[in-house]
Amino acid sequence: MIAIRNLKKSFRNNTVLDGIDLDINKGDVVGIIGPSGTGKSTLLRCIDRLETPEEGEITIDGKTIPLSKHDRKQTLELRRQTGMVFQRFNLFERKTALENVMEGLVTVQKKSKQEAKELAMQELERVGMSAWSEHYPKHLSGGQQQRVAIARALAMKPQLLLLDEPTSALDPELVGEVLETIRSIANEGFTMLLVSHEMSFVRNVANRVIFLDNGKIVEDGTPEEVFEHPKSQRAKDFFAKMYLMKQPEYTI
Amino acid sequence: MQILAETNLFDFDLVIKQIPDLLKYLPVTLELAALAMCIGIVLGLLLAVIRLKKIPVLRQIAAFYISIIRGTPAIVQLYIAYFGIPMFLKYMNLNHGTNFDISAFPGFACAVFAMGFNESAYNAETIRAALGSVDRGQIEAASAIGMTYPQMLRRIILPEAMTVALPGLGNSFIGLIKGTSLAFTCAVVEMTAQGKIMGGRTYRYFEVYVSLAIIYWAVTIIVEQLLKFLERRLELPEQIDKAATSEAERQEEKEAENYKYDSDTKFEKKLSEQYST
Repeated sequence: MIAIRNLKKSFRNNTVLDGIDLDINKGDVVGIIGPSGTGKSTLLRCIDRLETPEEGEITIDGKTIPLSKHDRKQTLELRRQTGMVFQRFNLFERKTALENVMEGLVTVQKKSKQEAKELAMQELERVGMSAWSEHYPKHLSGGQQQRVAIARALAMKPQLLLLDEPTSALDPELVGEVLETIRSIANEGFTMLLVSHEMSFVRNVANRVIFLDNGKIVEDGTPEEVFEHPKSQRAKDFFAKMYLMKQPEYTI
Repeated sequence: MQILAETNLFDFDLVIKQIPDLLKYLPVTLELAALAMCIGIVLGLLLAVIRLKKIPVLRQIAAFYISIIRGTPAIVQLYIAYFGIPMFLKYMNLNHGTNFDISAFPGFACAVFAMGFNESAYNAETIRAALGSVDRGQIEAASAIGMTYPQMLRRIILPEAMTVALPGLGNSFIGLIKGTSLAFTCAVVEMTAQGKIMGGRTYRYFEVYVSLAIIYWAVTIIVEQLLKFLERRLELPEQIDKAATSEAERQEEKEAENYKYDSDTKFEKKLSEQYST
C-alpha cells in the first residue's frame, strides 16, 4: 500500500494542495479529476518530487519518505519507485525510441546493454511500438511519442505509475491509441494515479475516482458514486457545466 | 606591378617563397590553440554548471573570475602568467620547501594556461546559454526515472546542448587560433613570432605579414569546413530509412484495429440528461 499524508503545497500565497491524505491499494487505478488549477498535476509532481511541497510524507514499499526535505538519496529512491508520464511526452529528443526506453535501465538500474535492449523491446512491444524502435521522437506522431513515454516509464517497473494528463496534448484522433494503451496496462495490474479530462475514460478504467477542488479531496469513491451520485455541490456544478457543453445546441 | 618590380617596393615572390618556412611553425600555433581550447571548454563547462545550478560561494567566485578575465586584455593576462607563474613557484620553493625548477618552466605552458583561462570565461557564457536552452521537460523526465544530475548532464543535457553551443565555441576557437599570435610575449615562437624574426632578417616586414595573413586565412577556412562537417554529423537524420518505415506502417495498420477507442456514448448521454435537469 502507498500512503500519502498531509501533503501541503503553495505557490507564494496560493495554496494549491491543502493537506491531502491518500491511501492507494496495490493494483488500484485512481482517477483524479477536478476543475483546472486545483492541484491535480501538482499532486503528481509532488509525489515524484518534481515539486517540493512544504509538508507531507509518503510511505511506499514499507518506507516512509518525507517529501518536504531535500535529501538526495531519498529523492532518488522515491523516483526510482515511481514512474511518470507527462502531458508533453518529454522524450529524449536525441535518442531513438529504443534508446529512450533503455536509458533508465542502463544508467539507473545498471543493466547491461544487451539485457536493457531486450527489456526495452518487450516494453515497446507492450505499447505496440516495437516496429518504430529506431525512430527518433521527431519522426513519431504525438500518440506514438506518448506510447513510447509510457513504455519508458513501465520499463523501470515502478510501484506507482503517475500519468499527468497523458492525452491533453494530443490531436483528438490520436487520443484513442494512448487511452487503449493505458487501459491495457491498467488491466495488467499496475498501480496508477491518472489525472485526466477524459471523463468517460476515467470512469471506464479507474476503480476509484477522486475529485479535487481547492487543494482538497472533495469526492472519493467508485466511479459510479462520484460521477452519478456526487455528494458535494462543487462536483455537481462541475459535471453539469461539463455535460451542458456536450449537449446538442438545439433539439427538435 | 611593373613599377613595384623595378623599385622592389613589394616582392610578391617572397610572399609565396617564405610561406613554407612559416608553415614549419604552424604546429606550434595549432597546439597552443588546441590545448588552450581544451582548458577553455572543461573550465568553461565547470563555470557554466556552477552558475546554472547556483551553487553558493562557488557561484560568486565564478562570477568574479569571469568578470576579471573578460575585463582585462589578453596580452596583459599573458604577461601576468609569464611573470606570475615563475614568481608563484619561487614563493612555493621558499615557503613550502618545494623544489620547482623555475628556469625550466616553459613559456609555452604559461601561454597555454593564460589563453585557456581567457577562453574559459567566454566559453562559460556560451555553454551556459546552451545548457539553459535544453527543454526542461527532458530534464524532468530524466529526473523522474531516477537519474542523478551528473548522469543527466552527461547523457541527456550535454549531447543536446552541444548542438547549440557548437557554432559559438567554433567561433571562439577561430578567434583563439589567431589569438595565439600574442604568445610571443611568453617567449613562444609560433607562426607570427617566426614571421617577425624573418622580417627582422630581411626587413621585408610587409611581405611576411601578407604571408601570415594568407596562412591564417587558409587555416580558418579549413576550420570552418570542419565545423560545418561536425554540425552536420550532430544533426538527427531527417528520414529513417524507408524500408523500416513502411514495415512499421504496415504493422501500425494491423494494430489500428485494436486501438479504436470508442468513447462510452451511453454513459455520456445518461449523465448529460441527469445534469441538464
